[in-house]
Amino acid sequence: MRAFLLRRLVHAVFVVWGVVTVVFFLVRLTGDPAALLVDQTATREEVARTRQLLGLDRPLYAQYLDFLGAAPRGDFGLSIRERRPAMRMVLEHFWPATAQLAFAAIVLATVLPIPLGVVAATHRDGVVDHASRLGSLFLQSMPSFWLGLMLILLFAVALGGLLPAYGRGTLSHLILPALTLAAAPLAQNVRLIRAGMLEVLQHDYVRTARAKGLAERRVVYRHALKNAAVPFLTVSGLSLGFMLSGTIVIETVFSWPGMGRLIVQAVPGRDFPVIQAAVFLFAVLFVAVNLVVDLLQGLLDPRVRVFEGAA
Amino acid sequence: MRLPYRAVLWAAVVLPLSFLPGVGGAQPPASVDGIAIDPEAELVVALTADTTNLDPRLGMGSIRSNYIRQVFESLVDVDRDGKPVPGLAVSWKPVDDLTWEFGLRRNVTFHDGEPFNADTVLFNLDRMFRRNLDKLGIKDVPAGTSFEKVYPFVSRWEKVDDHTVRVHTTEPAPTLWDFLGREPLVPRAWTIKHGVEALNEKPVGTGPWKLVEWKRKDHMRFERHDGYWGTPPLTKRLRLQVIPEAAARLAALRAGQVHLVEAVPPLDAEVLGRDAAVRVVSSVQKLACRIYLNGRTKDKYDSGGRDGAFVDPRVRLALNYAVNRDAIIKKIFHGLALPNASPVATVSYGHAPQAPYPYDPAQARALLAEAGWKATPRGLVNAGGEALTLQLLLPAKHYGQAFDETVTAVVEMLKAVGVQVTVQTLDFGSLLQTLTKGTLPPNGGFAACRTSNNLDGDDYVRDWASTTLVNWTPYPPELLGLYQATRRQVDAKKRLAALADLQRQVRDWAPVVSLYQEKKAYAHSPRVLRFTPTQELNMDFRGVALKR
Repeated sequence: MRAFLLRRLVHAVFVVWGVVTVVFFLVRLTGDPAALLVDQTATREEVARTRQLLGLDRPLYAQYLDFLGAAPRGDFGLSIRERRPAMRMVLEHFWPATAQLAFAAIVLATVLPIPLGVVAATHRDGVVDHASRLGSLFLQSMPSFWLGLMLILLFAVALGGLLPAYGRGTLSHLILPALTLAAAPLAQNVRLIRAGMLEVLQHDYVRTARAKGLAERRVVYRHALKNAAVPFLTVSGLSLGFMLSGTIVIETVFSWPGMGRLIVQAVPGRDFPVIQAAVFLFAVLFVAVNLVVDLLQGLLDPRVRVFEGAA
Repeated sequence: MRLPYRAVLWAAVVLPLSFLPGVGGAQPPASVDGIAIDPEAELVVALTADTTNLDPRLGMGSIRSNYIRQVFESLVDVDRDGKPVPGLAVSWKPVDDLTWEFGLRRNVTFHDGEPFNADTVLFNLDRMFRRNLDKLGIKDVPAGTSFEKVYPFVSRWEKVDDHTVRVHTTEPAPTLWDFLGREPLVPRAWTIKHGVEALNEKPVGTGPWKLVEWKRKDHMRFERHDGYWGTPPLTKRLRLQVIPEAAARLAALRAGQVHLVEAVPPLDAEVLGRDAAVRVVSSVQKLACRIYLNGRTKDKYDSGGRDGAFVDPRVRLALNYAVNRDAIIKKIFHGLALPNASPVATVSYGHAPQAPYPYDPAQARALLAEAGWKATPRGLVNAGGEALTLQLLLPAKHYGQAFDETVTAVVEMLKAVGVQVTVQTLDFGSLLQTLTKGTLPPNGGFAACRTSNNLDGDDYVRDWASTTLVNWTPYPPELLGLYQATRRQVDAKKRLAALADLQRQVRDWAPVVSLYQEKKAYAHSPRVLRFTPTQELNMDFRGVALKR
């Protein structure tokens, strides 16, 4: 287990390094931020002066070596647009705003699908099953920005300001953005649990458990769900990436002051340090969550541990 | 020779009353216009975006101005009609051909108590022109405007006494009061002590509002500066709340969660205008939207040895005749825009109205034929058999939906007179990079808008005087001479006449395809009293009250 963990950690370091390196060069391929900082009536000399002040006139390899030396210390340089430390800006927006939103959405998208998917599978072709499939289809088909705006119009305007239309602060501020962000992965997870349960419920060991006279609830939740949950767990780990990228749209619609909004401004503004710091944080989070998912899979399914151990 | 400076007294504002202590410290009234107000309330205003910084040296675009000008003030203020009025300076006047003198307001302090005086002005001039920064111990910043490059004729500045500053130039500079006077001023001692980076955290200014909290990308909260010298705020607090989505802004207004919203889309403004629970107001802005065309000669850009396809002014004029502006303003802007054939914004000082470009496709075709472009089954071709094409760069989603729709409509109008147009959408940064590198193709053009932080029209007509990012049709020698004459003419009447003549000639020379000048719409709750949108880039909340 320790060797497995160590191997995965080394793997994670390489993944994060690879991601930030690719992004370092990729953002520079998109162009130069200097012209965005000067007036449109500026001359080429004025743009060149700005490039010099930003250190962008230095050779690319020198910029990259500086970056490699400083990034492990958490120093991603000063934001080109705000002139503040980039990582500090990213962390300010991530914690607590984006973390809170993403956590709420993850809880909704992982907890709610379990009873919904199980009930849909155990009552196949019943009213609940049809309703759940229809609802899932609807939530997966709706663009999140549209769904968000509709929820704002319903809860903030039509229902007389029942919930706030914008911003963060109280629990009531969190409800609409979290629901909107969770909608698509929630629907996907309901379908996944349903499909997994339908398959598992056909297996011999389930029939055996029933033949032994175990209560149906125990058969479903203790024996069947545990096995049906393995693909669900894998997809949930991957959906974290969706959640994080989804915050970009949701935070804009709900004026949620998180990392998504920061990135929305940083990308067109070519704020290289902020983009790099944000991607670094996303990569670390993504890798960490998937590592945890791998470990959980091992706990749920011993075959995973055997396979990893043999590798 | 002494120049007739009396003629420039329109700029030489001397208001002895302004030397008296202001109304600072006075308690706000309990009512305005006979309506009881709530002086302890918080005015909540929804804006489209947060500022990325608060240091005026980093730039004064429309988003930044809305925040920066609540905290910082400039020597020259602006009234609701866009006219210059005393700000931190109570007077400004030329004392000879090459010297301007600013008389400064007394008894003004920054929010931390630091006095405003001549040293403050000299410090800010040093920052603007990048002088003495090492001596002052402050860093240089990537400035939006490099004053030392744009106004190289400003040679030095001096303190006459604690409340008088003189600025010297190497040539007459009739608009100096404007381009220096409109820059917001930061405190000297505070900035030296805390560093220029601190200007982007929680700076102090002399303005009507003290910054108390800045939650980035969320809101900025201010409190009334009780020692303010001018018209005091009539609410205790002000919150500038960022709500990027227009639909969400309007929903928040209708739900009563904000009092005032900016940038109401034209179609929504029309619908809201019929709603008794909402007030819609608008003002003409300085935002002039255009299609810029490559009219540079081959020696002026990375051309591959070819002149720009739009060097001939008849071609550019023809394209102006091909555009149906009335239809655009009616159908896309629902009246929230206006045509303007002058290069100067209608609300800038010195604007001279010009004959509108008529929508006349027949005349457009005739002009193109006169310029050597014959109509053939494969479009307009010249004597060399080359087709008239336009490769148009469109920075989509940068200026808003109405702009994008306008450009799309104009493309079809240009095609209707025979120009083969291809549109390449790109982000604004990529467009600026192309312009910086000078790699616009010979048949290239781009759609963009131009605004100004200054009051005088000179800022607009300067565009074609030197090789800048947006200048792809440099003045021919005769127009350059006329422009330079306006820059050196200090007799106001003569200067205005020259400026009007220049605008007339620029209108006919047609450096760009003029599209529209925008009107900005705001919506507010009936509780908001005395809100009048300005014609400047910022909103002004002095004197705005909330009904009790």
